[in-house]
Amino acid sequence: MSSNQFQFNQYSFTTAENENLVRCLKEKTKKPVIGYLCCFAPPEIIAAAGAIPYRITGRPGRDTSAADAYVEPYGCTYVRSILARAAEGELDFLDGLVISHSCDMVQRLYGIWTYYHPLDFSYLFNVPHQLTPWARDFFTRELGFFREKVEHFTGQQISFRQLQETISLYNKNRSLIREIYKLRKHDRPPVEASEVFEILMAGGVLPPEEYTGFLKSALQDLKQREAAKEKAPRIMIWGSIMDSPVLYKIIEEAGGKVVCDDTCIGFRTWEKDVPSTDDPYDGLTEHYFINFQCPRTDRGPGVERFNYLLERAREYKIDGVVGYIISFCDPHKFDYPDLRDYLKEAGLPMVLIDDNYSFEPAEAIKTRLEAFIEML
Amino acid sequence: MSQSEMSRARRHLETTKKMKEMLPRFFMRMMERKFSNEPVAWCMVGIPPELLKAFDLLFEWPENFGTMCASRQVAPHFIEVAENDGYSPELCSYVTNTMGYCKLYRERGEAPEESPLPGGMGNPAMLLGSGFVCEPRWKWFQSIATRFFDIPIYCTDPLAPPWDIDPHDPRIEEHYLTLLREDLAGQIEFLEKQTGKKLDLDHLREIMERSHEALAYWRDTLALRKAIPSPMGSTDYFHAIIPQMYLVGDKDAVEFYREMYEEVKDRVERNIGVVEDEKYRLIWFGLPPWFNMGIFNYLESLGAVVAYESTYNVGDHFEVDLSDPLEAIVRRTWQRALKMHEYGSETMPELCNPAVFGGFSGSSLLEELVNEYSLTGALMHLTRSCRAVSFGEVHTRNRLANMNVPSLIFESDMADPRFWSDAQIKTRLHAFLETMDKARQGREIDEL
Repeated sequence: MSSNQFQFNQYSFTTAENENLVRCLKEKTKKPVIGYLCCFAPPEIIAAAGAIPYRITGRPGRDTSAADAYVEPYGCTYVRSILARAAEGELDFLDGLVISHSCDMVQRLYGIWTYYHPLDFSYLFNVPHQLTPWARDFFTRELGFFREKVEHFTGQQISFRQLQETISLYNKNRSLIREIYKLRKHDRPPVEASEVFEILMAGGVLPPEEYTGFLKSALQDLKQREAAKEKAPRIMIWGSIMDSPVLYKIIEEAGGKVVCDDTCIGFRTWEKDVPSTDDPYDGLTEHYFINFQCPRTDRGPGVERFNYLLERAREYKIDGVVGYIISFCDPHKFDYPDLRDYLKEAGLPMVLIDDNYSFEPAEAIKTRLEAFIEML
Repeated sequence: MSQSEMSRARRHLETTKKMKEMLPRFFMRMMERKFSNEPVAWCMVGIPPELLKAFDLLFEWPENFGTMCASRQVAPHFIEVAENDGYSPELCSYVTNTMGYCKLYRERGEAPEESPLPGGMGNPAMLLGSGFVCEPRWKWFQSIATRFFDIPIYCTDPLAPPWDIDPHDPRIEEHYLTLLREDLAGQIEFLEKQTGKKLDLDHLREIMERSHEALAYWRDTLALRKAIPSPMGSTDYFHAIIPQMYLVGDKDAVEFYREMYEEVKDRVERNIGVVEDEKYRLIWFGLPPWFNMGIFNYLESLGAVVAYESTYNVGDHFEVDLSDPLEAIVRRTWQRALKMHEYGSETMPELCNPAVFGGFSGSSLLEELVNEYSLTGALMHLTRSCRAVSFGEVHTRNRLANMNVPSLIFESDMADPRFWSDAQIKTRLHAFLETMDKARQGREIDEL
């Protein structure tokens, strides 16, 4: 841990802490909590309808045997973890659930979860894989159906104006997060990746207005910090969902400095604003369907689809890329050989950590990363 | 990997045995066209095969190539080439088999001689993929076009409503039908551009009429398997898909399925079963182990017959108006979605496409099948590299258990024999059959 680590008021934003917090929020506001997985169904719609959007996370490294009663052992360990949590009643604070058809496993989690543990509200947000004009239209229509269902559940209609205001709140938070990321472009960034991770995790639970205040104070605090004492090899992380700071900490211990990422709780969610459009659903489509960088969406063949990563690597003066893929995560596993070769051609080395969502054996992972970082 | 003693399968029907004469004739014709440099499209199940035929396109099915490589025991070689290139052993083994083939093709400038057929799959001039069944399928073609062949690609992306949405709501129906129609229009636009030909709707209609005629015979053949003893087993079932894949819309294909129906009907009338002393009637879930199809004969030697399978259905037959053949393609896809919805499709709602697949894991169709096919147990092949199709097996087991139908889930793979353990699987199959005996004895005691 760095000595000048940022203190997040009284909170720490890990999965367990977030869940305590959302229980308190629910009690205080009497609003229903709608959990969501993946980044296609906009939390803006949930918030605008008067519910609390809550980003569901797993529990890496913990036993998932409760999932065995419903699903096979071969399958995304992150999804198994979520299902085990639902089965054990750990997510009983959820009043509703929206799961996007992001990857196969997440989509199928929806059916099993709602069949065995039905909730008061549930919705599978269907998302095409191709970025064709008709797929785009489908996504926009899907937003409309989702809005209707959420409105019906909360009893609160969402006007264009309300939605636009909520989008503005979220956009404000996006711009503050980008400000925090900018600090990491410094040669000796004043903030550790594990700290940034907790700041981002807070976005999965705090209502947008409160998150704004939180981000402002975090930014102010971080700006006043002194730069890190020493330079370290600069790392970018690419890959599957990471809802725990463990890998960031291992890299820090191995002597590297993670200064940016391409992960879904990370920069993928915050790198761009929802565009301001006359019809807010057009802006949401642009942001959540067209712009959201998940390899489950088909951006055509060719390595050009990775250009944004190289641009980011240059912007953050990256020395090496750590790929992190959870077992059975097909979309990322397919892209790995192409991405590895593409980065190599650009002079950027890459190491792959293939993990079963446990970050174990930690020592072995650390040793590999030490060797990689030393090479940089 | 040790060679399995069960690797060769024995078929029971004369019709499927005759494929050995029919298919080489077809493949020879294809090879002649390939050698005259006609472009070949690599295609994926989910593309309406009638459309390919209507464009008179030469086509190959890399998935089917995977089954061939597996059955000829060359898949491990191609898979290892792909793994050395960075593809994970967890990825679909049909995919890694193809990636190994592609890599060797690029290195050698010609089809690897290890391929099961002379010339292998050749090299593709275009790719027609599909997101139907699973996302690895379209990622697969994206990777091929990125890494090995810089060629045009189109991926179709049919979606279906999830299990808790009312598909009869006219707005929902329009939501999905619009997507299906526009996606089909996209495919046709792509094919017209790549082939330089205009789609002849009359020709397509004729092909679809014959295709549907073949599927009607297939539907009726499946129904005949309800008979005790079951007249047809899995070794015939799984190979029966080939004519509809390659000869769709041809008179030869219609004739094949008609003959198969007549033969199976005759066996029912003469009380000829796959197994002489039929003790167990099973349903098979998952993809078969193509490198070891003899497993079905092994089961038969123990008095067990598989009377129904959840995958590799030649195709579901739906009554649709063929006067507008494009709308008919859309409507049959939608009808499949409605059918699945009616039965419950909580595990795999996207299995809406009727082309060449089954896919009903967990749905209440199970109850119908158990009763109509007098099933006594379920075998579930948990394929490590194909989670898409394996998914739902535990859920299906739970639902079958409610009907007092025992299940066995056993692990291996469809194309990669490294996951096959002969002695272990045999032991488990034996133990499972004994479980069924005990379950039966228990039921008999209860009835007393």
